[in-house]
Parts: sequence; structure tokens; C-alpha cells
Amino acid sequence: MKQIKVGLAGQPNCGKSTIFNLVSGIEQHIANYPGVTVDKKVGFFKYEDYKVEMVDLPGTYSFSSFSQEEKVAKKFIIDESNPNSKEKSIDIIVNVIDSSNLKRNLYLTFQLLEIGIPVIVVLNMIDIAKNRGLEIDSKKISKMLSCPVVETSGSKSIGGKELMQTIANTFEKKTKYEEFKINYEELEVHIQKIEKLLENSKSHLSKRWLAIKLLEEDPTILEHVGSNIKKEEIDKEIESFHTLHDKDTISFLATFRYDSADVIYHECVKNNNINKETLTDKIDKIVLNRIFAIPILLFIIFLVYEISIVYGYKLTDYTWPILASMKNFIIDILPMADFTKVPMITDFFIWMTNSSIALLNYIPIFFILFALIAIMEDVGYMPRMAFILDKIFKKFGLHGQSTLPLVLGGAMVGGCAVPGVMSTKGISDERARMATILTVPYMNCLAKVPFYTLLLGAFFKPEMALMMFFISTITIFIALLIAKLLTTTVLKTRQTAPFVMELPPYHVPTIKGVFIRSFQKVWIYIKKVVTIVLAVAVILFAMLEFPGLSEDSILKYEKQSEIYLAKFDKQIKNNKYYQLVDTKNEVSDLLNYYDRYRAKRMAATSKEDAKQLDKKFKLINADYYTFLKPRKNKEAKKINRAIRKLSRDRKKVLREMKNEKIENSILGMTGRSLEPITQYAGFDWKINVAFLSSFAARESAVATLGSIYENNKADSKRAEEAMAENSGYTPLHAAAIIIFMILTPPCIATMIVVKMQTNSYKWMVFAIFFPVFLGIAMSSLTFTVGNIFSLSGVEAMAAFYFAIVFITLILAFYPSKSINWKGGLNKV
Amino acid sequence: MIMLDTLSKGQKAKIKKIRTDGKLLRRLLDMGFVMNSEIEVIREAPLFDPMELKIQNYYISIRKSEASLIEVKI
Repeated sequence: MKQIKVGLAGQPNCGKSTIFNLVSGIEQHIANYPGVTVDKKVGFFKYEDYKVEMVDLPGTYSFSSFSQEEKVAKKFIIDESNPNSKEKSIDIIVNVIDSSNLKRNLYLTFQLLEIGIPVIVVLNMIDIAKNRGLEIDSKKISKMLSCPVVETSGSKSIGGKELMQTIANTFEKKTKYEEFKINYEELEVHIQKIEKLLENSKSHLSKRWLAIKLLEEDPTILEHVGSNIKKEEIDKEIESFHTLHDKDTISFLATFRYDSADVIYHECVKNNNINKETLTDKIDKIVLNRIFAIPILLFIIFLVYEISIVYGYKLTDYTWPILASMKNFIIDILPMADFTKVPMITDFFIWMTNSSIALLNYIPIFFILFALIAIMEDVGYMPRMAFILDKIFKKFGLHGQSTLPLVLGGAMVGGCAVPGVMSTKGISDERARMATILTVPYMNCLAKVPFYTLLLGAFFKPEMALMMFFISTITIFIALLIAKLLTTTVLKTRQTAPFVMELPPYHVPTIKGVFIRSFQKVWIYIKKVVTIVLAVAVILFAMLEFPGLSEDSILKYEKQSEIYLAKFDKQIKNNKYYQLVDTKNEVSDLLNYYDRYRAKRMAATSKEDAKQLDKKFKLINADYYTFLKPRKNKEAKKINRAIRKLSRDRKKVLREMKNEKIENSILGMTGRSLEPITQYAGFDWKINVAFLSSFAARESAVATLGSIYENNKADSKRAEEAMAENSGYTPLHAAAIIIFMILTPPCIATMIVVKMQTNSYKWMVFAIFFPVFLGIAMSSLTFTVGNIFSLSGVEAMAAFYFAIVFITLILAFYPSKSINWKGGLNKV
Repeated sequence: MIMLDTLSKGQKAKIKKIRTDGKLLRRLLDMGFVMNSEIEVIREAPLFDPMELKIQNYYISIRKSEASLIEVKI
């Protein structure tokens, strides 16, 4: 079988990925190019006798080296066309073109043709071009460019076969390939001079192409030729061209290529309705209208939020039982507890299962969210969103394209930083992208909500609505402030990119494309995030488990257990079933049986399931089943009552043991050792522990606080009431805690995506510690000032809120230094 | 000297010179802001900045601060 390697190149929005999906099917894998965060997609397919490997190069408008994507694409072509390398070299470049935007797309084609590798031109979206009244003579294009041309429509699955056939044909005819040359007229002398200088170069690439790129001052090529040529010699040629013709080589080459594209356009395209309004024009008249644009944008954001978070959350009602039964299955195969002696292995696996379930539970939400993002990208609304809001974001060092990541992170109450950070990929401005990645975690994530609810319920009952308003609207101001702070300090030297952004025509997305993309993203989440979070969960487990209870305490709890067991024994001594439960082992067995049934009965959703469950438990032990469902059996009923009481007592002992264990654990000691610092914010060790454990997943903060503050009398008090009564906090304490939670560091899942998107551990570490310092500083400030002026919790929160809003507004009018490429003649 | 950012909605012009260098110059050239190419102002963003243009038969948006570096002739 013959192997063909194909590089798929094209400008953004040319439908390159639909062509990629059309030919390569589902068999594809994505990774990052080494060292950068640009996607490397590779697909495989078989055609007749050929095995084709297709590499989807990043979409680029040009083939110079001035954006990360262009650098990556160029490096790929250079490295993988080397016949001496061990990698198979590229045989063919497939250049996908948007037929309805021929001129600009051909600008890239001319650059690809020059490289010296056979090119196939794919006229994609040919159906759309036809609908717009464009008649394209593809045969003539093929003749003029002397390369094969294929007409396709990726979204309608037209032309895939023809493309594969053409790839095979071109591969066979490769030996007959003759280098494509553009006559650059007055520049030719200089090209030839450079070519001569390159004579000794061992590069496998076309000397002419290298010469042209060197005249364009392309840094990647300059590096590639290395010591074979001196920079001064190139500069001399550029200089002499400039003095002779009063033109820059760069502008000259670009103009020349656009003029060439124009020649093709005029020769091969007939436009039948030249001034007719397209559908895109009509839509944009409304969507980008000065009055309607912002309401429409808000409505779309609301819709995305409503569908993914609200309905996605409802969807988890259906997926939760699956996870719950998974959990029950795992518990089933673990060794059982001997009354209050729970084997550590059981504890460990339950902890791990809970940690993974907390994360897996979000998958339906993520899937919907990723699908909606893919749809918005395909439709072409994303750049419009950036167009509408850029003016505001620009002032804070962000970019119009930061809108969506911030919204996903939770601009309204409840989002998630993971998809938010993941969707920063498309932001072209490096500094704005970094700032967005680092500010998304400040938004109100879904898991913070129960924490707020708990604190508001405990300390701010009458002012709940006002406090919730403060919490949910302050995040965006904080994000903007921090973005401004970062871009004027640590990110100051980061590269910025000009805001020159295409507004592509609207397209109907393809179901296959949307599905593949959202599936791939969810898969990345499962693979990367869940695995690492589980690794951290192991560490946290150890920190909570060790050093464990002291001998004295163990004895104390054992004694307590004996008392409860004796009580149970006394209650049922005269029962006719007594001999079934007269040893400790038997009681323990029955207790486990009872608890397990209760847990499973809660997970069963339908009557049918419940019946099945009853049957199963009857089979396991018919006697115990009578205790479970005594019906009119009076003796069994007594046992039922006694066992229910015993189950409650056991839970109480277990809880007390757990609390003592947490208090003495490494994590508990850490929380205590932090008290000297956190006391200024009013935090005691319990709050510290809750924040420390929230690091694994936010949900655990509420769980930890809940279990710490539960008073040990087994009453049915809710966590809110228990906290308000037992903690000794004032609302001012609570306000400080809330402020810290607003600024709290990202959870582990978010940190991993931060690492993925910044491609640096340094920034990940920064993303953890900066919020901690900021949070402590802000809550200490609020707490201390609040104490001095004896403010109430709400007053302190309001003061903090208005201070932040005020500073943000002032900064909005402070001149932004986002344009650092200013200069040229204007400055003189 | 007329700069691109001063044009209003619906006005057409031709690119005369780009008064900048480096990354912005290359980006503008790549997007089709080459000498003598025709340009039409389609609209301003709802908050008055950036602006949307038609060039080489497609639509592009550009911040006014960048448009102010492009010299045009009407």
C-alpha cells in the first residue's frame, strides 16, 4: 500500500475543517504542536491502494511568520518536507479556498504554489458561491495556475471522492512536477542575487522560495538558512530595491500577489448580481444595528446560559442515577464496615468515587456548552460579538473576543471556568488571551453558588436578594480590574496583535462538525482533567486521613459504640428473632444490609426499579428482608425500629470520628497554622480547611463546612441554622468569607486547563497564588475596616462593592496602552 | 491627507499609503490593504469603535486607532 502525506492549508473561515471531516471521517486525533497551544489535527483514510495521512494546518491568511499559527504552519512545511528526516515528507499541499471570497483566498494560494510542493486547489462552498450568482470557471483556474482544481461543498458532502481521486493522481504524477514561478519583474534581479548567495546552503527547500521569503524578512526562514547568509546582505538588497523603485519589498510582494489574484478573479469569475444584498448583509443590518446589537447579544448570551447551564443541569437529573448506581456498585464490592470500624480501603475508594462523580456529573452541561460554542463559531457570530463589545474590553487590556470566555465562566450566577478557559483559544491577541485566561476563574462558577447560599441563608436572611445582587454583579468588575492590573504589569511585555478581524458570511453549521468538535473537547476534559484531579484527590485523602485518631480517641469511640450496641441488644432481647442478631457480627451485617438498601432505594427512580431492588434484597437474605419490610409482623417491626435507631447512632459516631480526624489531620493542622495570617480576615481554622478542601472541587467546601458545623445532637437542623448558631461568626465575618470566595483560586480542573492554554506551569502557579494573596488582602481589608467603623455585614459588602465599581470606572477612562506598535511617519 | 478613520458610513476610498510598520503593516497587507485597493465603510460598531469595512469583496473590522494609520484618497 502506498503512503501519501497531505498538508491541508487554507485561510480561516474557508471551511477547511468541513473538508477535513469529509475525507478523514471520525478517525482523527488532535494534539498540540510542540511548544505552542495551536491545535494539530491529523486524520487518516484509505482510498483504493493508498493510505493517506492528512494534517490539518492552522488556518492562516498568509504564509509569513507573524502570528503563532503562521509560524507553526511554516515550520511544519519546512520540517516535514525534508527528505532526510525520519518523518515521512509531505507529498501534496491541499489548499482549501472559499469560492465566494476568491480574491483574498488566492493571495494565500500564490504563496503556497511558490513553496515547490505540488498543490491541489479545492474550491469549497461552491454551492454558496453559485447561490450568490458567482460563475466560476474552475477549468480555467486550473489552466492558469497549472495545478488541479476540485469543486467541493464540505457542508453538503460534495466532492470528497473527486478530491481523493485527485490526490492519488497528483501523487502518481509527482515526478513530472515543475516548479511554479511568479515573475516578480523589477524584484527579479534581487531575488536572483539572494539565490546566488544561497548556493552553498544545504536546505532541501527551493532556493528561489527561500530567497523570496528572505526578502520579505521572514524570521523563520532566516533562522532556517542560518549561517549560510548574512542578514546584512539581505538588508542591502532590500535597501537597494527601495532606493531604485521607492517601494518596500514587503508591500511590493503583497501588492503583486493581490494583483495576480485579481487577474485570476477577472478572467475566471463572472458575477451576475454584483450589487445585490446578500443574506449576510441583511442579517448584519439587524444584528450589528446600533440600537438592537447589544440587546440581541444579551439575548443570545442569555439563551446559551439558559440552554446549557439550566437545561444541562436538569439533564444531570437523568445522568445522576447512572453515576449513583456506579457508585453503589463500587461500594458493593468493597469490604464492609464492622460497625464503626470502617476499613481504610473502603474509605479510600468511596472518596475517590465521590471525587470523580463530582466532576463527571458536569459532562452533560459541558457537552451542550461545547456544542453551542461550536455552533456559534460555525455560524460566524463570534467575531460579531467581539465587534460589538471590543470598545469596552479594549480599555481593560482585553479583546472583544474575551466576551464569550467570561460569560461561560459565569458572568451571571453559575458558569464554569473550564469551558471558559478552553474557549480562549481563538483570541488572536496574545496579551489579551493571557489576561482572559487568568481572569475567567474569578467569575461565579456553578459550584460557588451552594457556598453563597449557605452563608447567605445563615447570616443574611433579610438582605439575601441584595447580597446576591452584589455577588453576581461584582465579578465582572473584578475581572476587568484584574485584567487591567495584569496587562499593565506582569503581562505588559506580552505580544499584542492588531485588531484586524474578518466578519465572515453567516453559515449553517453541520451537525457532524458540531458533534465531532464537542465530543473531542469533552474527551479532552475526561482524559486530562479527570485523571489529574483524581491524582490530587489521592493526595488530599492522605492529608485528611493522616495522622488519624489517637489511641485514646479510638478507645473512646469504641466504648461509645459498645454502649449503642448494648442498647440495641437490650431492646430486642425478648424478640423472637433474637438468635438471628445476637452476635456483634450479625448486627453489623444487618446494619450494612439496612444501610445499603436505603442508599440504593434512594437512587432507584421508578417503581419498577424499586421492585427489582426488593427482589434482589429478598434473595440476599430473606430474614433480614422481613426486618426491612416488617408489614404487619409486630416482632419484626420492633427490630426495624431498633436497627433504624442503631443506624442513626452509628452515623453520629462516624461523623464525630471524622471531625476529630479532620481536626488532627495534616490539612487541619495546615488550616490551624494559617490562622495567624487569616485572623485579620476573621477566618478560623475551620474556614481555612474548607477553602483548602475546596481546591479539589468547590462542592467540597460546603460539604466540609456542613460536616464541621453539624452539632452532634442528631437533630434535623439544616446546615445554615447549624452554622449560624455554632460558628460564633457575625455577618461581618461572613462578608469577609464571601469576598474571599469571590476571589478564590481556581479549582484543580480549571488549573489544568489554565496549564493547557498557557502552556506553562509558571502561569498555572501564578493563577493559584495571586488570587490567594488578593483574596486574603481584600477580605482582611474589609474585615478590619468593617471592625473599625463597626459596619454590619451588608454595609461592609456594599462598601467593598462600590469601591471596586468606582475604581473600575476610573480605570475605564485611564488611557490604555494596548497599541504598542504605533509609529511610522505620524510620530515624527 | 485623509485618514481612514475619518470616513463615515457609506463612503468609498482607495488605499494610498499605510503609515505603520512591523506586525500591523504585514497584517493589513495580508488582509488586502494593498495600494490602490478599493475600500468602503459599512458601519461603525454600536459603541462607535471599531468600524466595519468592505475590501477585496469581503468584510473586515478594524479599530479606529489602527484605521488612523491608513492614508486614503477619495
